[in-house]
Amino acid sequence: MSGSPPWSSSRWHSSQAGFVPHHATSNSTGRLEVASSPPDVQRSLSAANIAGHSSLRGMRRLEARRQMEEANFLSSKARSQNLNPPIDLRMLDYVTAYDDNLMCPICRCPFLDPVVLAECDHCFCRDCIRQTWASTYSPLGPRGDCPSCRTPAKLGPRSATSKILVNITDDLLVRCPKSEDGCKAQVKRGEVQDHVNIYCGYAYMECTADDCELHVLRKDAAEGCLHFGVSCLDCRQSMQKASLETHWRVQCPDRKVSCELCKEAVFNREWDTHSRETCPAISIPCPGKVFGCNSRSKRSQADVHAKSCTFAKLTPMLTAMQQRMDEQEAAQKVMVRKLEVLEGGFQAVQTILSTKQEDPDQVGADESRIPLLTGRPHQRGDSGGMLDAMVVETDVGAFVFPPPSSSSRPSSELVHVRAGASLPPLYSAPMAPGPRPADLPEPFTMDFDMASPFPPPAANGPYISPLHHLLSMHESLRDEMSRMSAALQELDGRQSMQALNENLRTREEISYMAAQVAGLSRQVHWLTSAQLQRQQHGGAGRQAAGAAGPSGSDIAGAGAGVEAAVSTAASALRGAARIVNAGQGMTMRRGLSEEGRTKL
Amino acid sequence: MANRLGAMSSASAANQGAKSAGNPSRPAANGNVIKRLQSELMALMTSPTPGLSAFPAGSDMTKWNATVTGPSDTPYADLTFKLTLSYPANYPYAPPEVLFKTPIYHPNVDMAGRICLDILKKGGDGSEGAWSAVLNTGSVLLSIQSLLGEPNNASPLNGEAALLWDRDQTEYKKKVLARHQEPEDVEAADVA
Repeated sequence: MSGSPPWSSSRWHSSQAGFVPHHATSNSTGRLEVASSPPDVQRSLSAANIAGHSSLRGMRRLEARRQMEEANFLSSKARSQNLNPPIDLRMLDYVTAYDDNLMCPICRCPFLDPVVLAECDHCFCRDCIRQTWASTYSPLGPRGDCPSCRTPAKLGPRSATSKILVNITDDLLVRCPKSEDGCKAQVKRGEVQDHVNIYCGYAYMECTADDCELHVLRKDAAEGCLHFGVSCLDCRQSMQKASLETHWRVQCPDRKVSCELCKEAVFNREWDTHSRETCPAISIPCPGKVFGCNSRSKRSQADVHAKSCTFAKLTPMLTAMQQRMDEQEAAQKVMVRKLEVLEGGFQAVQTILSTKQEDPDQVGADESRIPLLTGRPHQRGDSGGMLDAMVVETDVGAFVFPPPSSSSRPSSELVHVRAGASLPPLYSAPMAPGPRPADLPEPFTMDFDMASPFPPPAANGPYISPLHHLLSMHESLRDEMSRMSAALQELDGRQSMQALNENLRTREEISYMAAQVAGLSRQVHWLTSAQLQRQQHGGAGRQAAGAAGPSGSDIAGAGAGVEAAVSTAASALRGAARIVNAGQGMTMRRGLSEEGRTKL
Repeated sequence: MANRLGAMSSASAANQGAKSAGNPSRPAANGNVIKRLQSELMALMTSPTPGLSAFPAGSDMTKWNATVTGPSDTPYADLTFKLTLSYPANYPYAPPEVLFKTPIYHPNVDMAGRICLDILKKGGDGSEGAWSAVLNTGSVLLSIQSLLGEPNNASPLNGEAALLWDRDQTEYKKKVLARHQEPEDVEAADVA
């Protein structure tokens, strides 16, 4: 443990600070002594007094004079300190390059009032280590873990480094903090506070005039009170004389300043555009910079370069191409997004359809052998007759539905076959009720064949592109549609066949009854005519003989009664036929009953 | 608490009396942060570390962008990750906030890019952070780079990754590559 050297050095330091007059100490730790100078001075003054008592009278006078000088010096220093706030030494601009070893690892500035941690020998600025430990407060004084090595450490009252480190860091050259205002001085860091407080021409001090309370730059102090109103010659703005120079340098818009590069005098207000756009001496990059030309040339010579530079020549074309590429990329992005939306929509539609499809398919599976009318194109033109209906019924073929479970996406060939098998029967079905669906499937199949340039989706495998996938889905949807319409038509046909069968029997009965009635009526007719003949003969005989009158009139009355009964039966039959007609609503039917009626 | 604060402020007042000039006043604190960041930037520029880079994001000196290349012989080899660093006003007494901008599959990084690393948390009363004022941007990035190759599976943010790291390195590498995006793609997505 190197406890004793720091201790002894620090004691040396403090004793030094106690005895040596402030000039010397401010050299090394100026920052400290500036603030704490009044008590120090008191002490040194009293020491001087003691010395003075023991010396000669001349010595005493000298001493008194020194005291007065010191007092003046200190008071002016204190005053200027009010006007010039203390300098933050970390914010200074260091002129000397300094070693990394002289840098506090926390603030990364040259050590300011460095302390060394006794436990691990690591060194930090006093402020930095205090602030690091600010969160871990202890009543016994600042303590915590060393930021560098995490050793528990504390800051004792005598924690300080050797004087040599303080001297090295305080001897680093810095620029005067007033350098922005015009001070060119470079001073040692330890002296910079004194420089600003005492010497710097650009620091503020109180105005020399007795009745003036304002402050003035130190370099202007000799010119007397400058706090009277003047107006700027260039911009006619009124201000105080003391601030005129600053105004000229940075603010006045109508003052001309000379450009360092092109030596041209430029108005302050145009300075920005000049330095950015017009100054011929400023160097600008080649216009083809984005495409790879790295050369820079002065604005005045930019044209010469542009003529020889391939990049610059190509730039307009390349930018146009770039722009077009960007546009197309944006357009493509939009398209891709649209495609995604469409795909999603199709997927949704497909899922809806595939769930709906379950039901008809189940029915189809149950009645997988649905009797269908087989195609006989020559029957198409035939008018509906009983015989035809019979023939059609006997020719009913069986159409087999493809089992729905075989594939979720039935191949289009199968649908084709099915469409071909199921459509002609519909054409030939003479009894098909309602609007003929013939116009629906035919263009549909045509369209299907012609308009799809892609091969029908034969398998569920991966697709080359989303477009392809979409098209195949579209086709499968169409297949679904045609299947469903075919199924609907089959159902329709079956329905009409059932109705036909139902009615056949009724029709047969009716026609049988009609025949009976016709026979009856023929018998009645024959009887009536025989009776009438007999009556005529009888009448002639009666008129001739006047004998058999009453018996002939009796027979005629009986004949009329039979005829009335027959006509009643015929009207009843007609009523039955009407009922059948109403039930069926078919024109052929009507024709049939009409036929019956004419038979009647 | 108030007592404590009072004691502290009086202590610091006494301090000020003792050594006035160097004590950073409150408004100047930000200046000190920027000064320190400038110094760090200078150090990073003059002596760059391979696989690491950092630069202020814009005119604001307290927001930086950084890139870290995955160390070789790890699942992250040859992958580049983009990070953002945001420095608080009391830097370096408090740690910067570091986020992964590139999606990364790692036991100690969550989906939002937050990093579980002790040196990125401030220590002190009760908390387990290990931030130290002597750490800087370079050392933080170096720690993150080494975290890629040596995850702390004891306190994972991404439990699945922690399990997979111990069980199946090839599958882990697959997941890393699946999650990774080139920084340019991330930027393009941000713009879009």
